Amino acid sequence: MTQKKRSIKDDFTMLTILLIPIGVAVNVVGGNLASLLKLPMYLDTIGTIFTGIIAGPWVGAVTGLLTNIVTGITNPVNFWFIHVNVIVGLLTGFMARAGWFTDWKKGLLATVIQSVASTIASAPPVVYVFGGVTGSGTSLISAVMIAAGKSIWTSFLSVEIVWTVIDRIISWLISLGVMRVIPDRTLVKFPLGNLYLKNKK
Amino acid sequence: MDKSFLEQVQIHKKNKLDGLHSKTKMIVLILYVICTFILAVKVTRLQLPLYQIAWFGVLLVIFALSGQFAKCLRGMRAVFVVFAVIVIAQSLIQPGGEILFKLGPITIEEHGLQKACNLGFMVLDVAGIFVWFFQTTSHKEIAAALREAGVNDKIAYVFVSTLKMIDEMGKNSRTIMNAQRARGIETEGNLMVRAKAFVPSLIPLVLTAITGAEERVVTLEARGFSVNAQKTSVFKLEKSGAETLVLIVSLLITVALAAWRIFLA
Amino acid sequence: MSTIMECKNVTYQYPLTDKPTLKNINIKIEKGKVYGVVGENGAGKTTFCAVLRGFAPSFYQGELQGEVELEGKNIVEYGGDISTRIGYVFQNPFTQISGVKDTVYEEVCYGLENFGVPVDEIDRRVREVMKLTNIESLAMQNPFEISGGQMQRVALASVIVLEPDVLVIDEPTSQLDPEGTESVFEVIKAMKEKHKTIVLVEHKIDLIAEYADEVIVFKDGEIVAHGPTEDILSDMSLLKKGVNLPQVAVLCSKLKEKGLPLEKIAVTDKEAVRVIEKALKERG
Repeated sequence: MTQKKRSIKDDFTMLTILLIPIGVAVNVVGGNLASLLKLPMYLDTIGTIFTGIIAGPWVGAVTGLLTNIVTGITNPVNFWFIHVNVIVGLLTGFMARAGWFTDWKKGLLATVIQSVASTIASAPPVVYVFGGVTGSGTSLISAVMIAAGKSIWTSFLSVEIVWTVIDRIISWLISLGVMRVIPDRTLVKFPLGNLYLKNKK
Repeated sequence: MDKSFLEQVQIHKKNKLDGLHSKTKMIVLILYVICTFILAVKVTRLQLPLYQIAWFGVLLVIFALSGQFAKCLRGMRAVFVVFAVIVIAQSLIQPGGEILFKLGPITIEEHGLQKACNLGFMVLDVAGIFVWFFQTTSHKEIAAALREAGVNDKIAYVFVSTLKMIDEMGKNSRTIMNAQRARGIETEGNLMVRAKAFVPSLIPLVLTAITGAEERVVTLEARGFSVNAQKTSVFKLEKSGAETLVLIVSLLITVALAAWRIFLA
Repeated sequence: MSTIMECKNVTYQYPLTDKPTLKNINIKIEKGKVYGVVGENGAGKTTFCAVLRGFAPSFYQGELQGEVELEGKNIVEYGGDISTRIGYVFQNPFTQISGVKDTVYEEVCYGLENFGVPVDEIDRRVREVMKLTNIESLAMQNPFEISGGQMQRVALASVIVLEPDVLVIDEPTSQLDPEGTESVFEVIKAMKEKHKTIVLVEHKIDLIAEYADEVIVFKDGEIVAHGPTEDILSDMSLLKKGVNLPQVAVLCSKLKEKGLPLEKIAVTDKEAVRVIEKALKERG
């Protein structure tokens, strides 16, 4: 690939603009489906990860941003975590642009980096706004640790990082599954689609 | 004669608060959040959870005056759950101060309850005003307000189309799940069984949406999405007439609260 | 009649493919005529439509050689405003809704809003077109929640209301039942009466025979025949080129072979009845 100067605007083609609502809907529907099937996972960032991988950091970030805004309409608690979803999209997108997601090992590493960084970013609101316990699936464990005298920060981070890493790895694998079934002629129209063609010329 | 189509797509509201222009509602929202923080900041040794509770009362008054009390409370369901979790968890795990309640291994101490109320009501207040905004403002009004504010057409499009896409995809996911059940794919049972149902429910949805997006681009272009023109809108955003009054009142309350916190408490 | 669109030596190749999908296309589209585009699957009909409207290569990328002109000016020069001149309707009714409107009425308004037409005029034009396309009863329904046939009529209405000079319509009925097909062709007929220039891809050859003034035959990315509808659809040699000819035309040709002195090979049912009746009468 020839390196040319990219501007943020180049990432927002008509097609990627239409990808954003899809990404957000995948986040929301994925999350709902996970809770409907009573899975012990959130699975609510599949869309952010997916758009980041095929359309780069800015489209990924907007998908993350918009997800928390629209889910905030019914559950305003999500407004406090907008930055977390944005970071997921941004980091995934930047690493995707660097070609990390064309390779299993690097893809896994990128997913772990992204999960750890975004979990750390979610800690301040959890600690300061919600006192370490948000009512999410893992907060019971955190609550027990806090009650046992551990600091709020360690209680939240130690539990949440492990959990998030697993959650995001699954989400990444599902994204890969989706990319597998998208035909090359469609894939090639996305900003980073060239990286993932099944039949390279 | 029946009302014209053009008339039927408009939104008219009788209630002056409910019918406020979206921009005014947004300003009210911002001022309310600022006030919540003004009340929460610990500038003195005073403990203030009670003010947060009173401030929540103001929110309930706003709900009621907007004529949407029940609807707003329904919108608060998710928030109440979080509120309950925070209050219970904080009262139980925060030590310090007098013991207020003791039953077996469960003790509630003064500091815990204070923190519980402070955090709990702060979340309730901030989240609640957002609930009010979104329960009294339709998607259509938000989109129109964005356009009026001169926001890029693409952003307005993405916002509205996202809300519609969630609706659509949600419906389709339920259809697919039912179809799977009918075909004998288990959606209940142990964890692995349920986990296996997840992927086939989601992937076809995404695939259809993505391949459809290509044609959607063609559709939008055919409908002049990229035409160089000042776009018009058949939907007209209305004002209720109470905008100025509401702005003045909210500003006065904010200034008064700030002054009181700075000079008196 | 004057030429409204023209393809000059157009060759087009999609990305990721080895050979061009369209080869050396030269054609003049005359104002006010209906062009039926026929040929086997994969012959390049849909690509031809996309090239006429400029979606290939602007959206589909790939490589275009030669020129596509609208009124003597390359369509690239029109930029986004090309949508005010060329209307485009395609197969899939489900992807032809804007995705941002609550009602069918607003959906049909959408294009004119984008064009910046004043609201009073939008309302007048939209009501007129909804009447013409017979979708008035759907006006307040959610465009996502109507049938495929209804959606296709809404899609047609949404494009017709823009009053483009040229309408490119790609297999509008392939996913519709007979009733839906008929209602779509009612609209095409009305457009023909308004002297719109129409380029129509359609597999149902009897409909082409009935509505088209001229027929363009594609095979392997090239135009292999082009001329007045009767001339083309009565040419039995096209059967070998994968073109589906009207059954009445095949019948007439067979009858002629058997010695019935038909005045011509008819391509529509009505004409066939007339010429056969006449021939039989003459024979006594």
